[in-house]
Amino acid sequence: MQEDENGAEIMKVTVKTFATLRQFIDKESQVTIDTGTTVGELLNMLTATHPGLKNELFDETGELHKYVNILKNGRNIHFLDKLRTVLEENDLIAIFPPSGGG
Amino acid sequence: MDGYTNKIAWVDLGKGKISIQETDAEMKRQYIGGRGFGAHIISSRMGPRIDPRDLANLITFMTGPTTGTGIPLGNRYEVCTKSPLNGTLMSANSGGVFGWKMKKAGFDGVVVSGKAKKPSYLYLDNGKAEIRDAADYWGKTTYETTDRLKEDLGDKKARVLCIGPAGENKDLLACVINDRDRAAGRGGSGAVMGAKNLKVIVATGDMPIKPANPERLDAVKERVRTKIQENGICDALHLYGTSVLVNIINENGILPSRNFQDCNFPNPENVSGERMRETILKKERGCYACIVKCSRVCEVEGETNEGPEYEGVWGFGPNLGIDDLPLITQANWLCNKLGLDNIGTAGSIACAMEMREKGYISEGPTFGDGTGLLELVNQIGHREGFGAELTDGSYRFAVKYGHPEFSMSVKMQDLPAYDPRGLQGHGLAYATSVRGGDHVYGYMISPEILGTPEKLDPYATEGKALWVKIFQDLTASIDASGLCLFTSFALNADDYADIMSATTGTEISAADLLKIGERIWNVQKLFNLAVGYTKADDTLPDRLLTEPLQDGAPKGRVWERQPLLDEYYAERGWDNEGVPTPEKLKELGLGEPGIMHAHT
Repeated sequence: MQEDENGAEIMKVTVKTFATLRQFIDKESQVTIDTGTTVGELLNMLTATHPGLKNELFDETGELHKYVNILKNGRNIHFLDKLRTVLEENDLIAIFPPSGGG
Repeated sequence: MDGYTNKIAWVDLGKGKISIQETDAEMKRQYIGGRGFGAHIISSRMGPRIDPRDLANLITFMTGPTTGTGIPLGNRYEVCTKSPLNGTLMSANSGGVFGWKMKKAGFDGVVVSGKAKKPSYLYLDNGKAEIRDAADYWGKTTYETTDRLKEDLGDKKARVLCIGPAGENKDLLACVINDRDRAAGRGGSGAVMGAKNLKVIVATGDMPIKPANPERLDAVKERVRTKIQENGICDALHLYGTSVLVNIINENGILPSRNFQDCNFPNPENVSGERMRETILKKERGCYACIVKCSRVCEVEGETNEGPEYEGVWGFGPNLGIDDLPLITQANWLCNKLGLDNIGTAGSIACAMEMREKGYISEGPTFGDGTGLLELVNQIGHREGFGAELTDGSYRFAVKYGHPEFSMSVKMQDLPAYDPRGLQGHGLAYATSVRGGDHVYGYMISPEILGTPEKLDPYATEGKALWVKIFQDLTASIDASGLCLFTSFALNADDYADIMSATTGTEISAADLLKIGERIWNVQKLFNLAVGYTKADDTLPDRLLTEPLQDGAPKGRVWERQPLLDEYYAERGWDNEGVPTPEKLKELGLGEPGIMHAHT
């Protein structure tokens, strides 16, 4: 675990995005966050720094759009602790807008 | 009018005779159309134990009542026959424009029996049907056949359904192609056409297609259109095509690679829908009355055609260890030209690659090497060289060399692009599909991965049996209606009931539709039981039950056959051996299993 200049513990996670989200944010980026950051807090950070991304992920009430899927190391956060899922060092977060095929 | 043309052409190729008959009212009520008509006609008129390539095998081409009415995505037709690949009562669904044109030609569908003395084609035009000489087209690819016929007929509006060299050779991987690049792909129905010397069906004409209640249907159309347009999944399908799934399925750790040996393909981005859009995509294309337009028109080395789709990208890509998207695209086009099922063709190659890797065969392709891929596909289509070994699918190939365990198939049909070790419900749909290895008879990817209509834990088994049953039954009724299955991303059973009621003029509820779907499912199941399939066949390749995944979130998991299968049989009202009970058959208005044997 690393520390920032104030001595707070920080860590890195990788964020991957797909399909239409790539209009708003790089398809893959490393993000440095405080230890204990949740998926919801990470998304708030990302939407604050990437205009347009918020509307793609959240509805007007602040809930994730129904068919948005967010995976933490391949597991949908819906089956973990949803937006309260706590991130860990080197986690891979994959964010998908509504999409599908067959 | 009630959405139907109310005419079916019964074609006896052996006698050279055609009888045009009224579409049976009771059949419409009990089976709707499309897959329902085909399943009913075949099961009620043909013994299940005949050789599929025998003259007695029937093949039907049936639209549904919504086909061509202008309802969004109402364009499908269904090919049904006894599968020469696996003996099941097969149906294969296709879009494009042909289904609409068959109804404009005046026909709900065609039933073909017997074998023509020489290569022939069926010509449908404004209520008339003729058998014509196809000598000039025999031996030609589907592209050549389609283009030449339209030119020879001087009718650019005519629509062509045909087989390629694979069907003529009666390859068990042969499919039916319409509109050049749309395939009724699975089960080997192209071989049945080939066995009958039936090269082509042409449809042309301008007859009316009228729903029972046009005003009501117009209102339903608007509502349906809005729901589809506002559905984000349909939006992504338009932008990225079905290959948008590559990254989704890969990130979930269930994108099979190297013949399902692992789910650890190193370069999924290279074959993704996103990459396709950035590189080879020329434009999006839709089938008749489609507002989604998921089909891709791509350009590679100066050639422009439709495709590929997700299954073909995966099949010739990750499952062969290949990440060359232009090459994968060309392999898919070649399948279309030759009239080959791309899932089965690629699956057979993957099987050969693993057997070569393991040293069970001394020649053949190797994983990751695309050098000879196009030549090998060409050989499969023409039954030449090493390709001749693979023309009948991976199962027969693997059995021939003593290792059926390397065939990633269910009921001898190669599996599609999702590893069921991380998808308990989808695995159950694979194992119980009444046409064998298949993903569109109960697409559990929707709830287990995409989160529609709600998110289901892909690793859970509890409650999945009922979900699978409902998906299978609803899909059967959608396949009967003439609507594209992709409508199900946006519509629910009540929407379908509304569409059907406005189209046919007969009020039908969501529960009625599910019951019709269940009836179709049980008709196919009874046929398969009479063919000889048992509970032992409702399973997956051993690898998927015994070799845990080694990577990703589903690491350590296998597909859990029990308790899923027993729960599924119970939900279906079948006994412990997977045989429909007399009570269930009575409820569905079907005869008991023993009755089927009386025809054999």
